[in-house]
Amino acid sequence: MNSLKKLRSNLKMMWDYRELLWNLAHREINQRYKQSVLGYAWVILVPLAQLIVMNFLFSIVLRIPSQGIPFIIFLAVALLPWNFFANSLSSSVNSLVSNSSLITKIYFPREILVYSTIIAKMVDFLFSCIALVIFFLVYKTTLTLTLFWVPLIFVIQIIFTTGLSLILAALNLFYRDIQYLLNLVVMLWMYLTPVMYPVEIVPEKYRFIFSLNPMSVIINAYRQTILGGGEPNYFSLTVAFITSSVIFAVSFYLFKKMEGEFADYV
Amino acid sequence: MSDNIIIKAENISKVYNLRRQKTFKEFLPALFSGSDTRIKLNALSHIDFEVKKGESLAIVGRNGSGKSTILKLIAGVTKPSDGRITVLGQVAPLIELGAGFHPELTGRENVYLNGSILGFKKKEIDKLYNGIVEFSELRQFMDQPVKFYSSGMYMRLAFAVAVAETPDILLVDEILAVGDTKFQEKCLRRIKEFQKEGSTMIMVSHDLNMINEYCQKILVLDKGKQIYFGEVEKGIDKYQQLLS
Ligand SMILES: Nc1ncnc2c1ncn2[C@@H]1O[C@H](COP(=O)(O)OP(=O)(O)O)[C@@H](O)[C@H]1O
Ligand SMILES: [Mg+2]
Repeated sequence: MNSLKKLRSNLKMMWDYRELLWNLAHREINQRYKQSVLGYAWVILVPLAQLIVMNFLFSIVLRIPSQGIPFIIFLAVALLPWNFFANSLSSSVNSLVSNSSLITKIYFPREILVYSTIIAKMVDFLFSCIALVIFFLVYKTTLTLTLFWVPLIFVIQIIFTTGLSLILAALNLFYRDIQYLLNLVVMLWMYLTPVMYPVEIVPEKYRFIFSLNPMSVIINAYRQTILGGGEPNYFSLTVAFITSSVIFAVSFYLFKKMEGEFADYV
Repeated sequence: MSDNIIIKAENISKVYNLRRQKTFKEFLPALFSGSDTRIKLNALSHIDFEVKKGESLAIVGRNGSGKSTILKLIAGVTKPSDGRITVLGQVAPLIELGAGFHPELTGRENVYLNGSILGFKKKEIDKLYNGIVEFSELRQFMDQPVKFYSSGMYMRLAFAVAVAETPDILLVDEILAVGDTKFQEKCLRRIKEFQKEGSTMIMVSHDLNMINEYCQKILVLDKGKQIYFGEVEKGIDKYQQLLS
């Protein structure tokens, strides 16, 4: 109860700091594309290129089944949210280290640096969805009402992503290896998440790996609800929600506990 | 806390961990051999002082005696390892040498970023912006990344941002020594104005004349220990004894 109250007052504080939150997110978005010729178009071009190559590899060469849906669409509804997750983690992990100049000069709640990074990645993600819309139009995909589940799944994904990001960003201040280790982990994690293949082709006895992986549950749920596979698996989704919330709560607690020492270590 | 005290340090100590292992290569062997390779450094021990509203405090001591650490504790960017520090009111960004702005961002972007950290809305910063540019005399450099600034320019901008809106507490770390005398005088005039309006300045400086003129209280430190806290005149005596 007490911690719920704390969370609420923290959320309220974030609202008071919304100007800064947006300013930092804006900076993150701008900075990346300022010096490139194609600018912000990269957020669509990168996933587009990934989709085309992966589609060729997995659908045409390896003939991975895609439940009667054009493979590229089957892939896109999973790959774009996955990219959001992966990009959020790999940017957040550096968000404290790369803002050392601010951390050592002035107090503000440090989690804002992590949140703003995730907001920036979320904006990138929403724009990258234009690629998805193009494929829907090209393949005349019909969407169903279960699409309304998507925002809820998205919220679970954000809680999970933010939770992991907080702890990774804090630990990376103390041990800079975290960022390199993370790149490896995220790459392997993608293979163990049904992004490029349907979970159904995994032998039954190994499936448990996937139910322990919140990203797997989230990706499956997107695919199911967007591509008309019916209602999501409520049980898995509830478990993913609880797991994500617990991870968030623990990370947040540890982050706040370490916060006072951040300036000593950057 | 009695009504007009705005900073109160009660028996604060600060311990830094040195030789922290920044990589697993250093950390893992240390973990398995069970040896704690961390060396503790007592940057401050048992510091007690208080500052009343409108009063200014000078902190003096040799290099490494913990002066900057006290400013960081007041700014709230670091926490004391022991004891308690209470600060009431808006603290301006710490003004010190070295990186303080985001090097890749332009002067203008840094002004807006700093402003929003201090809780200003974009419109409010728009209003302050001209004054900041004017004060810093950096108009033609505002759209350049701060990494191209000289240390003098850098300090001008930092000072201009910190004083844009009368803060309750201004923290100045050995910075008035850089930059030309003309700009230094301008800063000092501004500080005088503030003090009239009831702001508090905490200043680390080696310039005893300046301390005499601008501060009412002094804190003398030596190797992290408090030698003296109180009236400026007596403090300067103690400090000079320490140096000799
Ligand atoms: N982030 C830090 N990590 C470890 N040691 C530090 C850190 N900051 C300061 N120190 C040490 O604490 C002592 C006091 O430093 P400081 O407050 O900067 O002194 P001053 O400003 O009086 O020169 C010094 O010995 C310094 O090396
Ligand atoms: Mg110093």
